[in-house]
Amino acid sequence: MSDINWRLAARSLKRDLRAADVRALFVALVLAVAASTMIAFFLDRLERGLERQAGQMLGGDLVLEQRDPFSEELRNTLEQAGFTLSDQVDLVSMISQGERFQPASLKAVDDIYPHYGVSHVDRGNGVEQIASGPPAGEAWADPRLAELIEIEIGDRVQVGQTELTISGIIEREADQSAGFGNFNPRLMLNTADLEATGLVQPGSRIEFELLAAGPPAALEQVQGLLAQLRRDGVEVRDVRVDRPQLGNALQRAESYLGLAGLAAVLLAGVAVAMSTRRYVERHLDTAALLRCFGASQYQLVTIFSLQLIGLALMASILGALLGLVGQSLLLWLLTSFLPMTLPPPGIMPLWLGIFTALSVLVGFAGPTLLRIKQVSALKVLRRELDPLPPAAWLVVGVASIVFGGLLWLYSGSFPLALALLVGGSALLALLWGVSSLLLNGLLRAVQRLTGGGEWVQAFRLGGRQLARRKQAGLGQLLAFSVTFFAMAMIVLVRGDLLTTWQDQLPEDTPNYFAINIQPGERDAFEQAVAPRVDTQSTLYPMVRGRITEINGQAPRDAVPADARGDNSLRRELNLTWQSDLPEGNQVVAGQWFTPASEPQGWMSEVDATPSSDSETVPISVEDGLAERLGLGLGDEITFAVGSDSIITRIDSLRSLNWDSFNPNFFVIFPPGVLESFGHSFITAFHLPDEEQGLVRELVSDFPGVSLLNVDAILGQVRDVLTQVTRAVELVLILVLLAGVSVLYAALTASRPVRAHESGLLRVFGAGNRMISRVQGAEYALLGFASGLLGAVLAELATAALYLYWLDLTPRLHIGLWLTLPIGGALLIGVIGHALSYSLRRQAPAASLGLLGEA
Amino acid sequence: MASQPVLHAEKLAKRVTSGERTLTILHDLSLSVAAGESVAILGKSGAGKSTLLGLLAGLDTPSDGELTLFGHALSRLDEDGRAALRAGRVGFVFQNFQLLPTLSALENVLLPLELSPRAGEARTAEQWLERVGLGERTSHQPKQLSGGEQQRVAIARAFVTDPELVFADEPTGNLDPDTGAQIIDLLFTLNHEAGTTLILVTHDHALARRCDRCLRLTNGQLEAFDPAPASSEEGDE
Ligand SMILES: Nc1ncnc2c1ncn2[C@@H]1O[C@H](COP(=O)(O)OP(=O)(O)OP(=O)(O)O)[C@@H](O)[C@H]1O
Ligand SMILES: [Mg+2]
Repeated sequence: MSDINWRLAARSLKRDLRAADVRALFVALVLAVAASTMIAFFLDRLERGLERQAGQMLGGDLVLEQRDPFSEELRNTLEQAGFTLSDQVDLVSMISQGERFQPASLKAVDDIYPHYGVSHVDRGNGVEQIASGPPAGEAWADPRLAELIEIEIGDRVQVGQTELTISGIIEREADQSAGFGNFNPRLMLNTADLEATGLVQPGSRIEFELLAAGPPAALEQVQGLLAQLRRDGVEVRDVRVDRPQLGNALQRAESYLGLAGLAAVLLAGVAVAMSTRRYVERHLDTAALLRCFGASQYQLVTIFSLQLIGLALMASILGALLGLVGQSLLLWLLTSFLPMTLPPPGIMPLWLGIFTALSVLVGFAGPTLLRIKQVSALKVLRRELDPLPPAAWLVVGVASIVFGGLLWLYSGSFPLALALLVGGSALLALLWGVSSLLLNGLLRAVQRLTGGGEWVQAFRLGGRQLARRKQAGLGQLLAFSVTFFAMAMIVLVRGDLLTTWQDQLPEDTPNYFAINIQPGERDAFEQAVAPRVDTQSTLYPMVRGRITEINGQAPRDAVPADARGDNSLRRELNLTWQSDLPEGNQVVAGQWFTPASEPQGWMSEVDATPSSDSETVPISVEDGLAERLGLGLGDEITFAVGSDSIITRIDSLRSLNWDSFNPNFFVIFPPGVLESFGHSFITAFHLPDEEQGLVRELVSDFPGVSLLNVDAILGQVRDVLTQVTRAVELVLILVLLAGVSVLYAALTASRPVRAHESGLLRVFGAGNRMISRVQGAEYALLGFASGLLGAVLAELATAALYLYWLDLTPRLHIGLWLTLPIGGALLIGVIGHALSYSLRRQAPAASLGLLGEA
Repeated sequence: MASQPVLHAEKLAKRVTSGERTLTILHDLSLSVAAGESVAILGKSGAGKSTLLGLLAGLDTPSDGELTLFGHALSRLDEDGRAALRAGRVGFVFQNFQLLPTLSALENVLLPLELSPRAGEARTAEQWLERVGLGERTSHQPKQLSGGEQQRVAIARAFVTDPELVFADEPTGNLDPDTGAQIIDLLFTLNHEAGTTLILVTHDHALARRCDRCLRLTNGQLEAFDPAPASSEEGDE
């Protein structure tokens, strides 16, 4: 019995593939799968890549750090849990070659280093990828250090009491993220030489690190131990908690991609629902006949379900292949700011794709398909005995539940899925009303067109046809207008918004940052720069410090859960001291320091004597940071600066103007506290075009000072934005295609009626050309209305961005109002016209038996 | 042959309500058909012939009365039960052929065979197509066949499961007289060869005369009827 179901299903599916509704169904499913798998494949690779990279950046799956060497006992416990251990020691020390001295950040690694990844090292034969540290007796310097003390491969440098041979220039360390980490240049050496340097002394600031690599199970096993260690003041970094956060832009892109992908799935679902309707209508006769020959209701449902499931599986495979191609395209578009090479695509997304296709089928076709069960065998004798179509609320209800489930699955959050579903429905209902008004207006205007031109006539007739199918037309209008809107927004954000924002910055907004100005260079630098620049910010002293405690607790435990991975806790912060509130800052809560002590005029060298005062220091914190970390006035923060701990209390919260391109600080100390620690200065200035020569002079006169060009940074921002938006655009194209599939499905659903209409037109004397034009005009009108609505939405959204984000008066985008409606009319007109080609060919036959079956 | 009738109807009634008015199509209608018998049902258009056929085949349920098919009381079966009873045991020939447009001639003939519990092979279907003279056209789709050819496919389909009972609703209604005559010959030949019980609905007296028994449906009831002899055929209808 079941055998025959399969055979019947397979056979009729094969034949059915030629039917327009089955094709529409197929295309829609392919698009749904392509959109969802493309994004799933990509995000899956990204996730796994990040996980792997997290381990690599940390240097292991678990990293412990403390001021003293680790005990044998701890090592044994970890090894028994299944970890491989590697030792690392970090310290800052002066190194020298000949007369040149330079503080450097030393990193001593053992022979197991690195657990993961490779270092990029030039050992004289170009940059190589090396999975080890320098051997004993040798050291690798980073390019900055090499430049500062003028060393080359083969030179010997003095490190503490020993000499090491520079055997390589290290471009990139295996366990360090890109970007500027330490301000001191790097020297990497072997732990075997550490003893000989004599730098490991009680009291000197040394960090001992134990890097452990092991499976997740091992990590699980030692959680209790880790908690204990944390309480003992050991810094514990766990790969699963301290994984690097995606860059903001990328994270945004990720959620946009996800949303756009689901939009495509939703549209495809609508297309599926429409074409299923026609599919079922077409098969009612078959069903009645099968019933007549003794098939049970169950068998009918089985046969047709099998058929559609077969279709869905084929669509899944094709869609997944397209998704695979799409994700590599996405990857290619985003390549330059993915910080790593990604692992190859996994199999998971494929299942996800198949699951998506089947869900869309069940949710959007299910209720309609069940209608086939209701067919009466008597229909073979009495044609008109068609079962009633399922109630609209049932179709919409089931589809919403299934789509909500998909939202949940993809977003991973039930409240978010629910909010999206409810909010989305409300928004759609609103848009439905607006577009209904718009379409009515447009159609009325078209009917008033006068003149006898063929095209005018075609538009009048096309408008009337559109009016007859207004409900379906409205659905398509909504789909296209939202897609057009999204596309317009992307183009606007990329071009208009960024340019506008940049244009509104004052002429003399700083275009250069100078960092790492050593105290000794300060005056010389000022003298070199001051006469040649338009504006210059204060020189801010900068000291690096790490938050070690908040209100007496480990920071991780004191902040809200979602802030645990915050950069401010993971990295050292740049601290400064000021007696006056910096320009562009505003105290929003508490009090700015009351001037007490005069700032000290002298600057200390590296690693000066520890400061002796241990009383609580008032500080000022940026309000955004405070909000993220859940901090308020009166909260106590302990900073580790140099080898000291400083207990501070938040006395004021400040808001900053990040647009000012002045140095901005999250945390400001009062004068008299940080002066004794190693610090450098930072400033920003605006260099007029004709003075660009200064840059070269500064680079050669102050080699230790880094100059950052703001224009270049903005250029990078623009690049990133371009790439992200390209990626989103790619997905939007899929959304647009899904919209076209809705159009196609609607076209097939209305086929018999359309054939009838064309037949009538023909009877009344319209030629092929006229009929073809009428169809083109109908879709062009639809496209025009969609473009118009899209433009309205885009203009409103940009106006909101202008007002609330850029603080500018909104302006009208004439281009938008021209491009979208006209482009939409052309695009949809041409596509709709092309899709109805087969219909036009059938029209003559249909016109004979006006109500003939298609 | 068999002592039990293949089909027995007792006081059948069919009423339909449209809006507020109730239309009685059939009432108090009794009929018994023995195995191997061929029965013609005549009647004016709208008399309720198709309605009766639908009831007798279990496609529809009567408003009143009891119907027994192959010894099973249909009122005790639900839709699926009635369908299962039909499977493989009842064949149909329709006025408008009712071939599935997407299937080939052979596949159309195979359809009831595959749904029947006494499933046969594709070979059987081919043989039946050969018997109706379409051995060469097995792979053609209905729209590639003429009306008469389509009806021959439908006849092959009706007989392919070796059914006990065949219903035919105006099998010649959509065909020209010559083709109609050929179809009738074919239908009766096959019927005799297979010893099938045949219930035939028709307007055509000549066709009715070839049956063992003729009944006329008037005012919702059946009455015995002797179709006029060949000489006065033109006078009727
Ligand atoms: N479900 C129904 N609802 C309303 N009227 C019905 C229904 N079923 C049958 N009728 C009516 O009952 C009458 C009998 O219909 P039926 O199709 O049985 O006639 P028929 O004898 O087969 O006619 P024909 O020779 O034209 O095929 C007709 O008037 C028909 O309109
Ligand atoms: Mg009839």
